[in-house]
Amino acid sequence: MGHHSNWPEWVYIGVVVALMVWVGGEAWNAERLVEHIPADAEVIKVTGQQWFWSFEHEDGTKEIGELHVKVGKAYKFEITSKDVNHSFNIHDYVVLLDAIPGRINTVWFAPKEVGEHAIQCREYCGLIHYNMRGKLIVEEADSSS
Amino acid sequence: MVLELQKPRPIWQIMFSTHHTDVGLLYLITSLTFLFLGGALALAIRAELFYPGTQIIADSMTFNRMFTVHGTTLIFLFLLPFASAVGNYFVPIMIRYKDMAYPKLNAIAFWMIPPAAALVWLGFADFTWYATPPYSIISAPGPAADMWIFGLKILGISSVLGAINFIVTILKCKHPDMSMGQVPLLAWSFLTSSLIVLVAIPTFAAALLMLLTDRLGVSGFFNPAMGGDPIAYQHLFWFTFHPEVYVLVIPAIGMMYEIIPRFSRKPIYSHSSGIFAFVLLSMVSFSSWAHHMYATGMSFTEKTVFMIGTLSAVPASAMHVFNFIATMWNGRIKFATPMMWAVGGIALFFSAGAGGVVNAAMPLDFQTHDSYWVVGHFHLFVMGTIAFGSIGFLYYMFPYVTGRMYNEKMGQVHFVLSFVGAVLVFFTQHVLGLYGMPRRVYDYPPIPEWITMNQIATVGAMIIGVSMLIFLINMIYSSSKGKSADTDDPFNLGGKYYWPYEAKNPHH
Amino acid sequence: MNQHNQEIYRTTPARTGKMLAIILGICIVGSVIFFSNWDYWISYQAPVVAKMAGESEHKLAPGVATGKHMEVTLNFIESSDFKTFAFNALPGEEGHNPTINANVGDEIVFNVANGGKSFHAFGVTKANEGVTGIVPTSAIKSASNPLKPGESGRSEFIPSEEGTYYYICTVPGHREQGMVGEVIVGSAQAVEAPKAAAPTGVHHDFSVNFIESSDFKTFAFNALPGEEGHNPEFKVKSGDEITFSVTNNGKSFHAFGIVSDPENFNSVLWNSAIAAASNPIKPGQGGSVTFIAGAPGTYYYICTVPGHALQGMKGSFIVE
Repeated sequence: MGHHSNWPEWVYIGVVVALMVWVGGEAWNAERLVEHIPADAEVIKVTGQQWFWSFEHEDGTKEIGELHVKVGKAYKFEITSKDVNHSFNIHDYVVLLDAIPGRINTVWFAPKEVGEHAIQCREYCGLIHYNMRGKLIVEEADSSS
Repeated sequence: MVLELQKPRPIWQIMFSTHHTDVGLLYLITSLTFLFLGGALALAIRAELFYPGTQIIADSMTFNRMFTVHGTTLIFLFLLPFASAVGNYFVPIMIRYKDMAYPKLNAIAFWMIPPAAALVWLGFADFTWYATPPYSIISAPGPAADMWIFGLKILGISSVLGAINFIVTILKCKHPDMSMGQVPLLAWSFLTSSLIVLVAIPTFAAALLMLLTDRLGVSGFFNPAMGGDPIAYQHLFWFTFHPEVYVLVIPAIGMMYEIIPRFSRKPIYSHSSGIFAFVLLSMVSFSSWAHHMYATGMSFTEKTVFMIGTLSAVPASAMHVFNFIATMWNGRIKFATPMMWAVGGIALFFSAGAGGVVNAAMPLDFQTHDSYWVVGHFHLFVMGTIAFGSIGFLYYMFPYVTGRMYNEKMGQVHFVLSFVGAVLVFFTQHVLGLYGMPRRVYDYPPIPEWITMNQIATVGAMIIGVSMLIFLINMIYSSSKGKSADTDDPFNLGGKYYWPYEAKNPHH
Repeated sequence: MNQHNQEIYRTTPARTGKMLAIILGICIVGSVIFFSNWDYWISYQAPVVAKMAGESEHKLAPGVATGKHMEVTLNFIESSDFKTFAFNALPGEEGHNPTINANVGDEIVFNVANGGKSFHAFGVTKANEGVTGIVPTSAIKSASNPLKPGESGRSEFIPSEEGTYYYICTVPGHREQGMVGEVIVGSAQAVEAPKAAAPTGVHHDFSVNFIESSDFKTFAFNALPGEEGHNPEFKVKSGDEITFSVTNNGKSFHAFGIVSDPENFNSVLWNSAIAAASNPIKPGQGGSVTFIAGAPGTYYYICTVPGHALQGMKGSFIVE
């Protein structure tokens, strides 16, 4: 086994490390921005239980299975569960956070367009996990609640 | 130096033997059995997901039990025992000692596996292979759940006993003329993965015990109604199982270190950087566990710490990939079956790692967490890297162990079909995850893109199934009727290619 | 070519074949064990669940019918946009979610019909939210086996304690959408405690079968919920001699006994037990018991395997 120069390996490792630092830095920055919840975000309490989602708006309105929000407003979800772990997910808006019993997790979003989107559960919770779905309905800002 | 074993012995002598080659063979047969059993479950799962609605599995409870046992089986009853098989068979040979350090303990560690496997398979629990509370405490029905817990407890003990054996054998029983730096990389891989096992598994053993007492109602570690925190279990679990995935990968990489230099007819590019990369990887593997838990509501700082820990493991893995490619560079490569599997494994290892970097990046993980992206990602590791490396090594050691040669054409067909199938299934699942399909779902809404991708994935899985059938036939037929092989150089590479190896025409 | 001491690293096909055969045999035996007890492996909940339920819910003793008899008619209705559910009338209209006033010991019979387009089920609970704690006799069907539009059912509720109870639709989410009303129970009217009569010499023979739904989620006697003959009610006089013959027509293990509280499977009355949870009746087997009916009241014949009564294996056994 002869000795050969190792410089190609060092260059390669240098490139990999630089790439990881770049990914890490960009991710850190993006997450920092994503996690900054606007002060005027309206709170919506989200409760997951086997096997449906229920929501409560700030003004006390309760909804089951469907969530109505308005375009252009920021909303903060306070998510918890009543029995086992679930995960509240609106995939189109990359809203994803676990619903853990005994704990409230917070995530926010601000829809920009009118439309309907799927709400799904993203943590195995048993028999009907696959059908623990709901609907997010984003409405025009001036329609009555 | 060695026992004389010329005449075929009665079966019970092999079964109760403590000699490392016999124990290795027992591990091998057990692990291959569970490869096929777990693989059959996978085919059933993919058949069910071919189209929305019920195909072949009558209800979601059965489906949930199937994917739980599929994961548990393939990790604990195929990948780990297979690595133990290879280690038991070859490590004493490589360090030039007559047996493992504790032969009786070795046999005991093996014999724990069948009862544990029986517990897992007879119960068929439904709470996924990680048994997260509170579901596993308040919602998972027994006795299946309790049987799974006991089964895994026994498997954990078996792993730890095996790890102790490897560490003592390699460190204390190696030939006095051999320095640590000269120990072959396959042996180093077993040393480092055993060290990880020793540190990581006891945490999970504790978590399992806590889960059991929580189920009995005598404690409230993870049950919020009794004052506990479900996230604590996730920390304990992933503290073990993130390093555990490295326990799975490191021996497979070690196996590739046997195959690639031999079939490239070149020495390994840098033996010492291989050793360094193994040691670094095993240490760094402990720093990243909570990247599985980004979505549980951790603070920004916690997530950042684990992201850094995760990304820091990448250079160590990259060193291995570099080592392999640099070894093959300018080599006189013979693409026999083992080499095809090893090279295919490296390609899929690289893809898996690339996908992993996406998951490690905090904001991107919220796109992919608990979706089919993750399924595709980890399968590229466990199937694409570890299983490919293992199967390639199985072909490599076949002539050595049986004295006969397998059918080369069938081996190559096996590889091509498996590789095509693996790409079809797992790459498609990455895209499927980006479209939002969650994991562990018995059924899905009839979204056209999801349907198409699920169908592609099912076709890929069936292709893998067919290739495994070819594999089974090849192995069984060739072990009894295959052509006699030259155990010094069965692949016609020139020189002696099993330990202690000397290449006839070493290239520098 | 082959070194003599290289032999050690090889095995023979015969050995490998035998080992494969052993493994195959083990797999087959294991499969037989597993599939022949297919439902048993997921048949019970972790002990902590019973413990949690026992702590959080006050165990209601079954009521003894000593007061007056009331009939209540309820109708599941839905608003046209399916966002609001209610009994009898929508919010704001007359008769919306009527409140029922009663006393301890009154026998309240609910006649419930599904006048909506969705699936519903009925029950009375003391819990002020959710669908837990349903008093067993008050249940009409269940979330997993509901009343379809146009179907109806009957159940009864005899309150044993004062307080506010809620009659609800037991499909998860429907209570929250409005299908809930109150049953306000005041103290009992004074009634003398019934005593067991002397043996009358009258003999009754009853027989029941343990049966299970095909998904093993619902258990029952004789017929599944909704079918004819489901959990038949037996009425005898205090002092009568009763013989129960039971057959296990299901695939699980069962046992039998008369109890006063269907959730308390341990206190079997009057030596009426056939087998027990620790030594149950296996599928296809049967048994019988003869006993003298005790003090008048409403009792239950149940399967005494933990959880089975809750899954539906209970019926009324009324002693007059």
